[in-house]
Amino acid sequence: MTTTRKAQLVVFAAALALGMASAVAEAKEKVKVGFIGPLSGGTSSNGLGGRNSADLAVTLRNADPNAKYEYELTVLDDECKPDKGVQAATKMAADKDVIAAATHYCSAVAIATVDVYNRFGLPVVVWGAVLPDITYGNDYKEVHRVNGTMINQNETAAKFMTGLGYKTWAVIHDTTDYGKGHNKYFSQFVTENGGKILGTFGVTADQQDFTAELTKIKSLKPEVLYFGGLTPIGVRIRAQMEKLGLEAQFEGTSGIVSDTFIEGAAGLAEGVVAFREGAPTEKLPGGMYFTEQYGKKGYSEPAEAYGAFAFAAMNLILDTIEAQGPNRKKVRAALNGVQGHDSIVGEISFDDHGQNTVALITKYVIQDGKWTLWEDSEYASGKRKLKGQ
Amino acid sequence: MNRGHASRANLMPGTLGIAAATAFLILFLSVESQAGTAVLLLGGAVFVLGAARFGGIARMRQSFTGNEGAMNLVVVAAALLLTGFFYDDHFTLLLVATVMIYMVAALGLTVQFGYAGVLNFAGAAFFGIGCYTAAVLTRNTALPHVLVLLAGGVMAALIGALLLLPVLRTRGHYSAVVTIAFTLLFKTFLEVNDTLGGPQGLRVDGMNLFGWRFNDNIEIGETLELSFFANYVVGSLILLALAFAFVRRLERSWTGLNMDAVRLDETAAACFGYNISRWKITAFTVGNFLAGLAGAIYAMMLGFIAPTNFTFGDSLILVSIVLLGGIGNPWGIAVATTIVIVLPEKLQIIQEYRFLLYASMVILILLFRPLGLLPRPLRSYVPGWQPK
Amino acid sequence: MDVGLFSQYVMNGLMLGMMYALVAVGFTLFFGVLDVINFSHGDVLMVGSFTGLATYLGLDALGVVWPVFQLTAVLAAATLAMALLGAAIARYLVLPLKSAPALNTLLITLMLGTVLREGIRLFYPEGANPKPFPALLPTDATALGNFNLRTDNLIMLLAGLVVIVGVHLLINRTKLGLAIRAVAQDEETAKTMGINFNLVVLVTFAIGSALAAFAGIMNGLYYNETNFGIGLLLGVIGFSSAIIGGLGNIYGAIIGGFLFAALQTVGAVALPFASAYKDVFAFGVVILIMAWRPTGLISEKVSERV
Repeated sequence: MTTTRKAQLVVFAAALALGMASAVAEAKEKVKVGFIGPLSGGTSSNGLGGRNSADLAVTLRNADPNAKYEYELTVLDDECKPDKGVQAATKMAADKDVIAAATHYCSAVAIATVDVYNRFGLPVVVWGAVLPDITYGNDYKEVHRVNGTMINQNETAAKFMTGLGYKTWAVIHDTTDYGKGHNKYFSQFVTENGGKILGTFGVTADQQDFTAELTKIKSLKPEVLYFGGLTPIGVRIRAQMEKLGLEAQFEGTSGIVSDTFIEGAAGLAEGVVAFREGAPTEKLPGGMYFTEQYGKKGYSEPAEAYGAFAFAAMNLILDTIEAQGPNRKKVRAALNGVQGHDSIVGEISFDDHGQNTVALITKYVIQDGKWTLWEDSEYASGKRKLKGQ
Repeated sequence: MNRGHASRANLMPGTLGIAAATAFLILFLSVESQAGTAVLLLGGAVFVLGAARFGGIARMRQSFTGNEGAMNLVVVAAALLLTGFFYDDHFTLLLVATVMIYMVAALGLTVQFGYAGVLNFAGAAFFGIGCYTAAVLTRNTALPHVLVLLAGGVMAALIGALLLLPVLRTRGHYSAVVTIAFTLLFKTFLEVNDTLGGPQGLRVDGMNLFGWRFNDNIEIGETLELSFFANYVVGSLILLALAFAFVRRLERSWTGLNMDAVRLDETAAACFGYNISRWKITAFTVGNFLAGLAGAIYAMMLGFIAPTNFTFGDSLILVSIVLLGGIGNPWGIAVATTIVIVLPEKLQIIQEYRFLLYASMVILILLFRPLGLLPRPLRSYVPGWQPK
Repeated sequence: MDVGLFSQYVMNGLMLGMMYALVAVGFTLFFGVLDVINFSHGDVLMVGSFTGLATYLGLDALGVVWPVFQLTAVLAAATLAMALLGAAIARYLVLPLKSAPALNTLLITLMLGTVLREGIRLFYPEGANPKPFPALLPTDATALGNFNLRTDNLIMLLAGLVVIVGVHLLINRTKLGLAIRAVAQDEETAKTMGINFNLVVLVTFAIGSALAAFAGIMNGLYYNETNFGIGLLLGVIGFSSAIIGGLGNIYGAIIGGFLFAALQTVGAVALPFASAYKDVFAFGVVILIMAWRPTGLISEKVSERV
């Protein structure tokens, strides 16, 4: 809301003798920044973790006496639905006091909202969505992304799995752009590396029963079941595989790298492999600092796998505002030129599409109820074995 | 419009009521703090209850029924005033336009089950057919956009015709299941079908009526720049006014009378020689046309549509608008749509708790006002006539 | 298709059908006594499933690990709690709206469903996440070619059958059942015959909701997972099943439930298009059935009094 509007409103309210205006004197200028993520619905655990992480970045900055501004975080819910996301993005972008925002975990939402940010000129940094087209499908200078895309993720995944000696796959993917993208890139890379896809099944993102698909897959006898989708249906598929006696190795994408998956699949989670872009945060000094501060703040939800990215995205935004002042155009220009910016997820450098070029992919396997780095796991050392090995 | 019966004296309560409502809406849309929203909600509720207690509402109602033409103009003026106040506030104007568009769709449902008693739980699906028609036509053809709007409505009516046989043959809860099945089928179909964008949805071009480009901000002089959503507010206001006038006329006409008869007692109506099927088909088609029309302009305004806009839940929102407002009363729809669309949006501040709160509020309203907020008044054959 | 694979599909379909049938019977009971649709039914099922889960976790924390006792306690807690919830819904939401249009009951119960769903999501510890449901039945399985015959599935099918037969006996052989049928046939006459109408309605809602709780536990045991969103679709499918069977008739509801499951399975397996179309197919057939038999497969005997 603009200041003129506020003044107008005050006059209006006074005229009606219904409202009172109070001016609060502040030492520092207040600056608004935004966060959008899925706070309700099936993927809300990731959204809430991201929100807390962004909130942590803002709180830490406000506690810093050297900060030039006092930051206020505006949070909106996109429900992981494209239409709600467009509404939330419009609301956020139309508020001229919001200088920049960290936005979206769900790819389906992020790809829908880029036009809005461009139309209103709000610089954003995507903190979780992995679909390539979000940055590469347009020339919008407003859109940046700190996490990597699914292309690199699937290239690594295909090479890694074929390297372990697996030959045949069945694919289940959700039919959003997220799942379809994963299916497309994974199938492409796995075929290039000599693997074979025996069957591909698209499922809706809120499906409960997968027995029909899994029974079909069972008769195809694949060595690996590749799943391109998010945690909620990932948990269901893993549980129902067991019910049908489908003995294939379960391979997921970044969409299931969350504590919720382990909690939901319980004992069946053991030995599941998945991949996530970016350096392993738990290994970097910044990552440990983040985990420690997050714990101190006592949030009721865990940070989840993309919390570190939300924290890094928000910190990048705050750093840029500190340097450029609260001006959308200047912040946008400065974000476009980010090179070698230090962050808790490794160095951030944006290419000409605003995509972070750090293409490191971390491989995870679930061992004893924890997402463990593949290299550190007993599976890599040969002490335990993945299915079919 | 029956001005002869209107007297100057009873114009006042209605005008005052509209003025108070407009002022309240302006304040409510402006306030951003949680406490402010709560205070306004409480204050508004107390005010309305107080007005009802001291007969203010009844007087307003008289003033409305007595001076319909004049009051309609007052309401349009109030809507324009509201738009003017938020002239550069994109989001608020988007909200205002959304409310108006949903009103058009809800008017369609009113014709269906308010007048003819045809249940439709697929409102969002027909709305969605309008949206998708607009998306396909604006992106792939050079059809003038005024025709695209009409095409949205026609398409919804045509696809609705596929359901006519089961809808005509079934009654009550049985016909509910036909439309429920259709709305679920429609959404799943959109999700698994790639040619219409799949679950990802489609982009839609902005509206362009005879060179009036809706997606450009309006610049007046050097300093004043209006949000482009103001275009859509005006556009949907025109559409709403037309739909409203049409539905009111329909209600008054012998067509409306026939539909009422079909709804109230099918058997009796059939005995008196009414053609039940004919009126049900008319109502179902007209209603779907309005929903599709609304969908087409909505898609062009939003610029992006996806299957998740058109779930069973969204159909229920449309139904709850009609029920909350009071079945068959177009003015009730105005009040209910505002509540149903604006409230969850304003409650964004309480984020994850807003659906819980919203659902609880609807339950309370239904318990204490089972006939809706503004029940449909008895058919008045003489404008301004009061029962003694 | 080999025999093993075929048997597996049949088994999957039977399990689904049993759950749908249990939900549909609830819908049909409510409709029978009060001519209303209680759309919160699916979410009552979900709450029942979570009640069972919470009971299990509570027992686990107390150190009770004897599976038979655990299972009994989980079932008892869930069915009792949901019976109470069902009666409360009837008492405070459905009966007060008796004179209002039927649509209002539908809307108010739908909103209640939202309240229940959101309530679990927000107030159950981390309720937004999918929860693992414990395997309380023997999990051993016999592999017959492509057919994985599991003991727990067999037990659940049998248990479902027993429950359905139980409901049948209750309705047709007991005094209570007689009262329920009397109210269903004619409220006024039933009242003049000295039947406590309100009590019969409350009891019927309690029975129906307890059935939903049973289905909820079954759903949890079958999928080994439960989440706050399972109720919405199960509710709609249960309602559709009750309708295609013919409202007010429990055999119709059972047939409807199994028919819907069969349609989904056929849609996913035997038809040439992608398995994701199975719901499009199933609901499309539902619409056709309604056009063919407008009052369901086993239709109510209605004679219009003018």
